[in-house]
Amino acid sequence: MNDPIIHADVVEAHALPRIVWLRSNLVVLAFSLMKLLPARFIIRKALENGELQPGALIAETTSGTFGLALAMVARLQGHPLTLVSDPAIDPPMQRRLEDLGATVHIVREPAATGGFQRARLDVLQRVLAENPGSFCPRQYSNPHNPESYGACAEHLAHAVGPVDCLVGTVGSGGSMSGISSYLRLLVPELTVIGVDTHGSVIFGQADAGAKRMLRGLGNSLVPPTVDHTAFDWVHWVTAAEAFRATRQLHQEHALFAGPTSGAAYLVADWWARENPDSLVAVIFPDEGYRYLDTVYNDSWLEQHGLRLETLPAAPEEWDCPHETGDCWSFYNWARRSHASSTLQPQPHSSPVAMQRTTGNREK
Amino acid sequence: MLTMQTAAKRVPTFTNKTDAGEAPILMASRCRSHRIGTAEIHAHHGEIVQGVFYSSDGNLEHALVTLPCSLYRARARFRPVRSGPLTLEPAGRWRAKTAARLTLDALGRTGWGGSLQIESNVPIRWGCGSSTTDVLVTIRAVADAFNRVLEPEWIARISVAAETASDSLMYGPERTVLFAQRRGSLLLELGGPLPPMVVLGFNTEVDRGVETLSLPPIQYSSWEIEAFRAILGMLRRAIEHQDPWLVGRVATASSIITQRHRPKRFMPQLLRLSQEVGALGIQVAHSGTVAGFLFEPGNETIGRIQHAQAGLKSLGLDESCREFSTAP
Repeated sequence: MNDPIIHADVVEAHALPRIVWLRSNLVVLAFSLMKLLPARFIIRKALENGELQPGALIAETTSGTFGLALAMVARLQGHPLTLVSDPAIDPPMQRRLEDLGATVHIVREPAATGGFQRARLDVLQRVLAENPGSFCPRQYSNPHNPESYGACAEHLAHAVGPVDCLVGTVGSGGSMSGISSYLRLLVPELTVIGVDTHGSVIFGQADAGAKRMLRGLGNSLVPPTVDHTAFDWVHWVTAAEAFRATRQLHQEHALFAGPTSGAAYLVADWWARENPDSLVAVIFPDEGYRYLDTVYNDSWLEQHGLRLETLPAAPEEWDCPHETGDCWSFYNWARRSHASSTLQPQPHSSPVAMQRTTGNREK
Repeated sequence: MLTMQTAAKRVPTFTNKTDAGEAPILMASRCRSHRIGTAEIHAHHGEIVQGVFYSSDGNLEHALVTLPCSLYRARARFRPVRSGPLTLEPAGRWRAKTAARLTLDALGRTGWGGSLQIESNVPIRWGCGSSTTDVLVTIRAVADAFNRVLEPEWIARISVAAETASDSLMYGPERTVLFAQRRGSLLLELGGPLPPMVVLGFNTEVDRGVETLSLPPIQYSSWEIEAFRAILGMLRRAIEHQDPWLVGRVATASSIITQRHRPKRFMPQLLRLSQEVGALGIQVAHSGTVAGFLFEPGNETIGRIQHAQAGLKSLGLDESCREFSTAP
């Protein structure tokens, strides 16, 4: 509960974000590896309730930062780990996972229906079935994923106090749903802005699958860990815009972060400028090292047609979340459930902080 | 708060502070005199926060932050006798009697008796600490009879041994502490008193109460356990910055979680009333029947309190209305 000066291990040392002022009404929660929070908490809870025995196998399908976080936690706690991935995994990540002792199983062929995602899930099921006592963290459906962010809410509340607006990207929805549920217990009027990308189904776009160039946010499925009723506003940011914003964050603030952070920064910076009386907190989920050869490489950006000279000054407001577009947009989500995100257009509203007193909701 | 502190020098009473459950080791006492010991302590008005919190080694502990209340007080007088019975007036307060025995043992006066008188205006079964104040004032009066001032940690330990659950009154209103009431130990020093606030307290049950010590610990959900982390973060900020507005938010959040497990009558109306009248928030006795609206001291306080009283009257809760301040 007190920040010890010497941490028990590197997961403890890196689990919580650094909190940095970007402008007078904008603070950043800059994580090294945000997924350490859910990885640590899910394993802890599984050990507590007996789902996971000490030393038993952990298996999951992921090739992203959650896999890396799991590999670190599993290494330190002596659990063997199998991660099921596909050929899209980046080789440095694979080397790092294997260096941490994880078995990385690459699925070479997509399934006849359901593509690589289906094929990976099939392999995962087989691994779990072949290893009695093995445990799957299920980050996209495990309620302990959002709950793990109570630690982050504590850190933010202690350091900054009540904020008026929380901005962050949505992939599993764990961080945004979790932190906002805890902050709203204390500050029900908190405005919550989710950042998604075009072609992600989370907030109603048609699925673009592997064509989505911006990874680490968005999804081809709607994960149960997303609490749609948490969100007042939803923004969709393109890959090119997110990459440009990531670079701008680095060039102007010397903050070296990944592209999901860039997407969140674009939206949070705009909101903070539009609402100078609102204190905004924005979540940056990881650092820039993984993206040195891509987002931080101009010729890669050129080759992929993702190099932008300037960013749009403001987003475009959509009438419904199903619109098609190719630039930064937003929609007045107004804390509705996913089921009620029907095709009916919503009235436009001026993007000022809305005062609400809706009660709190437990996930 | 001892009323008599005439001892020429205060010697540290115990050396062993680490091993809970072991008999404390008494420093060789040179002081053979004894006298009539007296003590006085004020009660509390439930809690600002009660829940479960992670200790520094990662274990979950039930803990609370007490809201001290100077309206209610207990006083004790203890006349020791070297050998004889331990008598208590009024009779029947067996926890106080147990505490007197434990304190005599801890002071190396096993076998001593004496007469103990307690006077108290602390309402019983409201969650204001009637039984803890009896126990605390007894411990202090007995210690005072032998010219001793006990450390809060030792008082906490004896008081937990005497009544199984306790509160943090022994730390006094100058320190806000997160106190593990079932273990009788301090979980976190919050670093200052509560900021000055005016409290409009009332009893949600008017004429009945609850036997707090018979209540089993609440089984919080996984979400709630983590919610207490955010509550604690905000509370630490509230104390460090002496921010009553944040204390109100924290108290309301804790009341909302407790309401799911130990519902109080009229809570939805009380939460609405708290907002309508411009209160900072609402606090409750998490195992009791009292609740209170918290107000920032200032020009508008009187009007807000009148407004709140009118609202309480419409709920039939105005009979028990009492006002007090957290300022020293």
